[in-house]
Amino acid sequence: MNESETVVQELQAAFPFLAGRATVQRERRVWVDVDRDKFAPVFGHLAKNLGFTNLLMITGLDAGADLEFIYHLARSRGLIANVKVRCPKGESVETITGTFPGGHIYERELIDLLGAKIDGLPEGSRYPLPDNWPKDEHPLLKDWKPREKGAQDA
Amino acid sequence: MTAGTAVLHILVFPGFLFLAVLGLAGEFVDRKLYARFQNRVGPPWFQPLADFVKLLGKENVVPEEADRPIFKLAPVFALAAVLAAFLYIPLWGPKSLLPFDGDLIVVLYLLLIPTVTFFLGGWTSSSVFATLGALRAITQVFAYEIPLFVALLAPALLANTWSISGIVHYYSAHPALWPVNLIGLCVAMVTLLGKLERVPFDIPEAETEIVAGSFTEYSGRRLAFFRLAVDCEAIVAVSLVAAIFLPFGLGLAPWAGVLLYLAKVLFLLAVLALLRTLFARLRIDQMIAFCWKVMAPIAFLQILINLVVRELI
Amino acid sequence: MPDKEKIVRVPIGPQHPALKEPESFMVDLQGEKISSIALRLGYNHRGIEKGCEERTYVQDVYLIERVCGICSHSHSTAFVQAVEEIAGLDVPPRAKYIRTLIGELERVHSHLLWLGVAGHEIGFDTLLMYTWRDRELVMDLLAELTGNRVHYAMNVIGGVKRDVPQEQFARITSVVDALEERTKYYVELAMTEETLAQRLSGVGYLSKEDAERFGAVGPTARASGVDRDTRRDDPYAAYGELEFQVVTDTRCDVFGRAVVRLGELMQTYSMIRQVLKKMPDGPTSVRAPLKIPTGEAVSRYEAPRGEDVHYVRGNGTDKPERAKVRAPTLANLQSVAKMLENGYLADLPIVVAAIDPCFSCTDRMVAVRGTSESKTMNWEELVQYGVRWYRERGIDLSNVKMRGEVTA
Repeated sequence: MNESETVVQELQAAFPFLAGRATVQRERRVWVDVDRDKFAPVFGHLAKNLGFTNLLMITGLDAGADLEFIYHLARSRGLIANVKVRCPKGESVETITGTFPGGHIYERELIDLLGAKIDGLPEGSRYPLPDNWPKDEHPLLKDWKPREKGAQDA
Repeated sequence: MTAGTAVLHILVFPGFLFLAVLGLAGEFVDRKLYARFQNRVGPPWFQPLADFVKLLGKENVVPEEADRPIFKLAPVFALAAVLAAFLYIPLWGPKSLLPFDGDLIVVLYLLLIPTVTFFLGGWTSSSVFATLGALRAITQVFAYEIPLFVALLAPALLANTWSISGIVHYYSAHPALWPVNLIGLCVAMVTLLGKLERVPFDIPEAETEIVAGSFTEYSGRRLAFFRLAVDCEAIVAVSLVAAIFLPFGLGLAPWAGVLLYLAKVLFLLAVLALLRTLFARLRIDQMIAFCWKVMAPIAFLQILINLVVRELI
Repeated sequence: MPDKEKIVRVPIGPQHPALKEPESFMVDLQGEKISSIALRLGYNHRGIEKGCEERTYVQDVYLIERVCGICSHSHSTAFVQAVEEIAGLDVPPRAKYIRTLIGELERVHSHLLWLGVAGHEIGFDTLLMYTWRDRELVMDLLAELTGNRVHYAMNVIGGVKRDVPQEQFARITSVVDALEERTKYYVELAMTEETLAQRLSGVGYLSKEDAERFGAVGPTARASGVDRDTRRDDPYAAYGELEFQVVTDTRCDVFGRAVVRLGELMQTYSMIRQVLKKMPDGPTSVRAPLKIPTGEAVSRYEAPRGEDVHYVRGNGTDKPERAKVRAPTLANLQSVAKMLENGYLADLPIVVAAIDPCFSCTDRMVAVRGTSESKTMNWEELVQYGVRWYRERGIDLSNVKMRGEVTA
């Protein structure tokens, strides 16, 4: 049994509801699909008890009615655990800056580009859009289209 | 000397025009050597002149918040002080244009004025980079000026005169004595890097930190004159060092004397260029520590040596 | 004392000679000491991720390559690896070796570039001129192998576009030999040159704990003693078959980062020789479908500056559902504020430079749009504007020919 399978087993032992939702994609790639209300304990368990101390990035996706966030966590020797969580548009998820202080920049990116709402994120300047960018426009949403080149603002 | 020839001497040869030409040529030599040391091609001979002419034609911008009179006058003062200092330094003969007893002190103070104008120009620009550059320039003065003064005063102590022409006269009469001041020469050359704001002491205009330091807000002909002042300051300082520390071959025919003078200046400029090739820029605290803990004691050692030598003869 | 009046606020950026790309550091100074620092990113946001969603995979390879000029091969490799994993493509071994070869040559040119920039930031321009002269060797070599000095465009989905024939091996070896000699000289220089050591030692301290906490990557992390290198930990391309050491250092300062990069250069030369020796024969690519099936993959790549992470999700069409890029600088920037704590303004350029920042990778997106203050002008309008501007100042340019036409 390789390292990835061990991680999946350990996760399922700690959280029985993950049966069938924590899978091994290939060597060194583990995917975990978790509900929003169970996210914090699973994430904390991975970061604190299973040694996933390196937050690679957070990917945000526009999945129709929901936003989908994927937290890519790595531990030594190349193993990545990708934790997926879905959140209806307009609702919020907890910040992970308590565990990974460097992660705030990835969360700000979600806010700017997808209109995500993050609870508990400390104040700070926005990233990566300019300060005069309209607050309600989020370029990575599927229904957002760039304007025609040369078009003027009203 | 009639008034007419005096004006001619001051304005043309060996006064202002000569100094300006020499300054631009000196900048070329410095830049070319620096480039060659770094394995680059370097600029053509007329580049400093071309830069100067180009800057003369550029727009003059004065920051709205600047203290206008001081901001505008600073470059003029810098250039005037350097030119005035040049008149008291013996170049190829044993005498300067206007020698008097105590001119060494006057020259040292005149050479301080450009730095003060950098400070004033930078401070009155009201830009943060210029302000920081100005503060650094004035901080640096306290570090390099003492060793430089002491190093230049030591030969005077031995010659028992405060006149540069007197010093030159003394050492040409006692040619065996000038090598005594070699330590002073080294100190003077190193601290000159500070006065001329060159690497490793180019802290007041460190471009990667504070853009162009005091000169950040300067443009057009004011910048051109500031740059000319810096170029001329280099020539004046090097001439002073040559006169005090390399006082040989002064009784030659005029043309040979001029050539020898130019050779000395060229040599010292080459040393300065080499020094700035070799080092990384120090931090201001490291620079001050270096000047006070290393340069100043060595300069005082020179004083000690000269006092002993004076007792012996 | 934190006296309000004595604090000077210095804007380093978005335009500043120390920064080669736009980024803003608002520095509060007390004398020469930094009392606080505020970062603002995003000036170079170009909309690449959004652009990827609206283009086909084939076009995306070229777009992704333009995330960064210096580590262009890194980004395109990371991207095609993810796509290949989704499509289940079996990349031929020769292609993997060629990817490794170009990737390591890219590392050589990036690290030499860094060494020069580091020299420049501390006012040691001689080092800049020397290293960049030597860097030309590897740039020329890359141009010979791929056709371009940067943006090599070697990767296609399913392999590489060009073969590196046996005849070019001798040339590669000679360049690597020459560069190895030069690098040894720089190592000696770094160890013996006094002002260099004074400016780099103890500057920008980042402890191992902080490096891990803030997620530092690449040479920045390794110089703080974090033993982390994707080439060994999560092998891709041909790295699983090469022998090399992960260079780490425990100095935790800028000097350590220089030592790590120099050490990595020496490792890289040995890796390039191994690649040339072991390179298998065979095809250089397999045919890839235009439509990539549904699926997702995360791909990692140890770029010269640290780890690139790419995420791609396919939806069965010829365009990706989502492509996400994490460039190493974004991870490293988090630790910069920590490194600058109680530092000197004079150290700021070198500390920032020591993470080898690449802000254009970090930002990635901006949409083309006008704002109320600015407007877009086409060429004719620009000419008219210029003519008008000068006429207002008494210079008439209206009869000057531009682009072969007389503008009125």
